[in-house]
Amino acid sequence: MIKFENVTKHYDMGNVGLQDVNVHIERGEFAFLVGHSGSGKSTFIRLILKELEPNEGTVTVAGRNLQRMRRSAVPYHRRNIGCVFQDFKLLPNKTVADNVAYSLRVTNQPARAIRRKVPEILQLVGLGEKMNNLPDELSAGEQQRVSVARAFVNHPSLLVADEPTGNLDPDTSVGIMQLLYRINRTGTTVLMATHDREMVDKMRKRVIALEGGRIIRDEDKGLYR
Amino acid sequence: MQFKFFFSEAVNSLFKNWVMSVAAIVTVLVSMFLLGIVMILYFNVEDVIKDLRDKLEIEVFIKNTATQDEINQLGEEIQAMPEVKTVYFVSKEEALDRMRESLGENTDILDAMSGNPLPASYEIALKDPEDIRMVAERFFDNPIVDNTPGSDPPDGVKYGAETSERVLRFTTMLLIGLTSFVALLTVASVLLISNTIRLSIFARRREIEIMRLVGATNWFIRWPYVLEGIFTGVMGATVAAVLIILSNNMFSNYIRENIVWLAVQDIPILWMTVIVIGGGAIVGALGSGMALRRFLKV
Repeated sequence: MIKFENVTKHYDMGNVGLQDVNVHIERGEFAFLVGHSGSGKSTFIRLILKELEPNEGTVTVAGRNLQRMRRSAVPYHRRNIGCVFQDFKLLPNKTVADNVAYSLRVTNQPARAIRRKVPEILQLVGLGEKMNNLPDELSAGEQQRVSVARAFVNHPSLLVADEPTGNLDPDTSVGIMQLLYRINRTGTTVLMATHDREMVDKMRKRVIALEGGRIIRDEDKGLYR
Repeated sequence: MQFKFFFSEAVNSLFKNWVMSVAAIVTVLVSMFLLGIVMILYFNVEDVIKDLRDKLEIEVFIKNTATQDEINQLGEEIQAMPEVKTVYFVSKEEALDRMRESLGENTDILDAMSGNPLPASYEIALKDPEDIRMVAERFFDNPIVDNTPGSDPPDGVKYGAETSERVLRFTTMLLIGLTSFVALLTVASVLLISNTIRLSIFARRREIEIMRLVGATNWFIRWPYVLEGIFTGVMGATVAAVLIILSNNMFSNYIRENIVWLAVQDIPILWMTVIVIGGGAIVGALGSGMALRRFLKV
C-alpha cells in the first residue's frame, strides 16, 4: 500500500526531514508511526499525500509512483486517502453535515448519494444528533469524530492520521482509537502518527519508530518504549 | 459540475464581505459607465465625421477666358477619372443665382455690379474622400483653372483640406484619449476585484488548504470565487447600463431640442448593453482568477 524506497527529504534550512527511509506497509495493515517531535513523522505523512517532494528516492502509494504523478492527478490521488489531523481541520463556517459532505462534493457525487451517506457515516461515529451544529459548538472529541467521518465517508483504501489524539483527553482518545480500529477492520489500511505511549502499548500493532529522520525500529505487535 | 453548490458558495461569500463587494461593484460601475459613454460618443462622432467627409468635394474654378471647348474637354477628363463619383458643372449664371439666394434680401450689392464676376466651376464628389488631395492636385497646373498667379496652394482649386484634416485629427485624439482612459479604469477594476477576492480568499486560506487535502481539483476550488467575481462584475455593469441608457436619452433629447443642427444618432441599445454587461463579467472573472493564482500552487 505504502512503499518508501531510499527516501530522503531535506528542508531548505538544512533541517533533515527523513534520511534514507525504506519501509513497506501492506494493504489492510494498521501501523503506528512513533517518535519525538521533529523526528520526521509529519514529513512521512506529507510525502504520502504528495504535499512534499522527496529530494531522493521514491514514494509509492497504492501502486502509483508519486514522483511520476502529474500535478493534475494529485487531487484524485488524495481522494483515495482519508486524512485526520491533530487540529481537526474542519471548515468553521459549515455545519457538521456540510463538512462531511464536502469531501463527497469534491468527487462529484450526486446530491442524493450525499444526502444518504452523510447521516449514515455520522450515525456510525455517534454524531447523528449533531449534524446541523457548527464545529465550534462541539467538544474536541466530537470534532475529531467529524474529521474521522469526513476522512472515511469516501471509503478510501488508506487512512492517515497525524496525531489524531494529540489534543484529546485519554478517555476521548480511546473512542477515536476504537473508530480507527473499526475502520481498519473494514479493510482500510491505517497509518497513525502518534506519541501516545499508552495507546500504542495497548493496541499491540506494528510500530515504526523514527528518530532524526531515520527508522530506528520496525516491529509487528510492537510497543512504544 | 455542481452549479448549485458553487452558486450558493459564491453568493454567501459576496454577502459576507459586503463592504468590499460594494467597493468592487462601484468600481466596475464607474468604468463600465465610462466605457458606455465612450461608445456612444464614438458612435456619434464617427457618424459626424462620415457625414463631413461625404460632404467633402473638390471645386475647380474656371477662368472667364476659357473657351467652351476647353471647358467641355476638362469636364470629360474629370468624368474619366476612376476616383470620381459625380461631377457637376456650375455655370456663371448658376453661381450668381446661388449667391443671390444665399444673400437673401441684401441683393443690392449684386445689383450694383456690372456683369457677372463669378467664375464657372466643376463640383466633384469622390468615391473615397481619402483621395481628395491626390485628385485635387491634378488641377493645380491646368491652364484654364482660375488661379491667382503665385498662390500656393493654387486658389483655383478648393477641397477643404485644412478643415477636414483638423476635424479628423481632433476627433481621433479625443477618441484615443477616452479609450485609454477607459482602458486604465478597466485595469483598475480588475485589480480592485482581484484585491477584494484576495481578501476573502486570505480569510479562507485554511479552508482552501482543507479543500486541497480532501482532493478538490483546482477548478473545484476556483469556481465559487470566479462566480463571485462574475456576479460582482455583472451587478456593477447592469447598473452602469441602466445609467448609460438614461443619460443617453436625457442628452439626446436635450440636443435634439436645443442644438437642432447636430444630428444625434440612435445608439443600438441592445448591443451596447450586451457589451457593457459582458465587459463587467469578464473584468470580474479576470480579477478573481488573478487573485487565486497564488493560492492554488500545489
